[in-house]
Amino acid sequence: MKTFKTGGIHPPESKFTENTPVELMPVPKELAISLNQHLGKPAKPVVKAGSEVKKGELIGEADGFISANVHASTSGKVKSVKPHPHPGGHYAMTVFITPDGQDEWAEGLNTDPVDWHGFSKEDIIGKIKNAGIVGMGGAGFPTNVKLAPPPDKKIDTIILNGAECEPFLTADHRLMLESPEEIVEGLNIITSLFGGEARAYIGIESNKKDAIETLTRHASSKGIEVVSLKTKYPQGAEKQLINAITGRTIEPGELPFDKGCLVQNIATAVAVYEAVCKNKPLVDRVVTVSGLEIGKPKNIRALVGTSFRDISLFCGNLKESTNQIISGGPMMGKAVYTLDVPIIKTTSGMLFINNVGIEKARERTCIRCGKCVDVCPQGLAPWLLANVAQLREFDEIQLLGLANCTECGSCTYVCPSKRELVHWIKYAKALVNNRQKRKSA
Amino acid sequence: MISEAFIPAVASLGSVALTLGLIIFYVSKKFHVEEDPMVTILNDILPGVNCGACGYPSCGQFAEVLVETKDSSMTCPVGGTDLAEKLGDTLGITMAEPKPITAVVLCQGDNDTARETAEYLGIQDCWAATQTYVGPKQCRYSCVGLGSCIAFCDFGAMRLENGLIIIDKDRCTGCEACIPACPTGVIVMQEKKAERYVIACNSHDKGAATKKACDAGCIACQKCVKVCDDDAIVIENFLAKIIQEKCTSCGKCIEVCPTKVNCILLEEDLKEAKQKKAS
Repeated sequence: MKTFKTGGIHPPESKFTENTPVELMPVPKELAISLNQHLGKPAKPVVKAGSEVKKGELIGEADGFISANVHASTSGKVKSVKPHPHPGGHYAMTVFITPDGQDEWAEGLNTDPVDWHGFSKEDIIGKIKNAGIVGMGGAGFPTNVKLAPPPDKKIDTIILNGAECEPFLTADHRLMLESPEEIVEGLNIITSLFGGEARAYIGIESNKKDAIETLTRHASSKGIEVVSLKTKYPQGAEKQLINAITGRTIEPGELPFDKGCLVQNIATAVAVYEAVCKNKPLVDRVVTVSGLEIGKPKNIRALVGTSFRDISLFCGNLKESTNQIISGGPMMGKAVYTLDVPIIKTTSGMLFINNVGIEKARERTCIRCGKCVDVCPQGLAPWLLANVAQLREFDEIQLLGLANCTECGSCTYVCPSKRELVHWIKYAKALVNNRQKRKSA
Repeated sequence: MISEAFIPAVASLGSVALTLGLIIFYVSKKFHVEEDPMVTILNDILPGVNCGACGYPSCGQFAEVLVETKDSSMTCPVGGTDLAEKLGDTLGITMAEPKPITAVVLCQGDNDTARETAEYLGIQDCWAATQTYVGPKQCRYSCVGLGSCIAFCDFGAMRLENGLIIIDKDRCTGCEACIPACPTGVIVMQEKKAERYVIACNSHDKGAATKKACDAGCIACQKCVKVCDDDAIVIENFLAKIIQEKCTSCGKCIEVCPTKVNCILLEEDLKEAKQKKAS
């Protein structure tokens, strides 16, 4: 079974919802659609309070090269445009929409599927750009930019990421079982952009046997290879996935296209298919709602902009003992401090947990056991990075490879001294950035 | 014979030492740097904390540039007037008097007035906290209240009280070391004045949002602007601001402020404080 070379851990999988079919969530009473749902510059609002919008109408326009369009998730009236808490922890400009209950698509959108084979390359990328598609695995990099690498970089390997290595999350798993045709079509569209030579793979962790079977049945006749990967975190990280499937190593400072690779998420492939064949902008996504503190853990298809509060009510409400709510998975997700936070295009899950029983907070000194070095998939020495960060030696920490840390959280997970290794690394990254900003200013 | 055995050793090592010595002598003559003795004298007078407030990375650099240019407008905010006199006497010029400045925290949201977000159990540092979310207080413009700036102050002028940074104006020298240490940019520099009013709030949120997050925030109600006879208060981006040059410290604005003195502050009387210290 294939896997990446360096490091990795295997936390308890806790995939409670893997056998729960995706349920459609009704339109809530209010939607808060953030204009910052992607990497890069936030979108520019193009609607004002009081304007009527149809479902799929543009409300935020991409501002610059790395940015993405944002669309209304339902039809209704714009209530206001103001800063609002964002699942990333900070505030972002947000368009509030009061739905009219009709959920009516704007003209020409969400049509019956058409054959894409006649479309030119520019057409396809233009449609993806218009639909505001971003990487739905978590980073939110605009897909149209990723699909148009510099002309001197030759892409020969396209990988669809179905690893879903984070515990609890099952959104991609359910999507693979329920819409395999769309995934395969989406992957074919992406592959067609790079000519006939590119090889396509779908990487799936071995704990999703049914998904591997389903996709093999649908994909093998189309020249797509479904690869079964060892169940190991972070198998679904871009660099680790490329290493596992092709054996190539992305060196520090390189991007996947430097080694001829392109990685897309399962959900992104479905969104690409819908945008190209059905002219449907990205307005909803599958979210896993899980954790021991939620009444009914579920996989739901929710509109972008639905608040955590509405979703928790739809899933049987949270118990009183909940003391932490996480947007994303337990390893890389972020704790949110209010239920008013909306879901965005990159929210793959939300967890309601109680961590009172877990020994917490008191960081002890490093005992030099080396566990963090063993598990680091990037081959770094997290204990050293954290120590140097604590000393604020920011020149030295850059030499130690601070920028290569992907913040996967494996080191913090194994540390017997309960050191907040990733947090220290994030702290160092923030201060290094701040210093560079001040220098250039 | 022992002495005979020593001769070649002493001779060879001695010649090596002699050659190296000559090289060092030659190099020291050839690359001799003429150092002004004045720089050393000035270096002894200067505070020697290398805080960077003068714009140079160290006190030594400041002294070098000062001796070279004899620029009377160069000032050391840490040393103040006394130092300016001393420097002037030593160099035989009249130095400009430094305008004493002090750091001011534009926030009054302590644990009683500011609303909390959630219990924060991570690394107790403002930068670490703001990497994960807005911080322990709901207001995203506020003093985060974990005290990262304290370690940056060489003069012990900062302390954390009830979740808010308090600056000791007597000790603050205005070296600006605390400014880059603050992730929300809530610390600013202002001229030290005997009597001074300042709007101690940094929130650019609209009034309702500010009020929701904090009891001591400026809600941009315009009352102080209307009552001010000297047009010294302006509202910019939902935040009142006192123009220090126009303010006559009449105190009318404090009386009308609906958030009850919390956001408009009268800085302590510096003269009085100094007199107290002297007596």
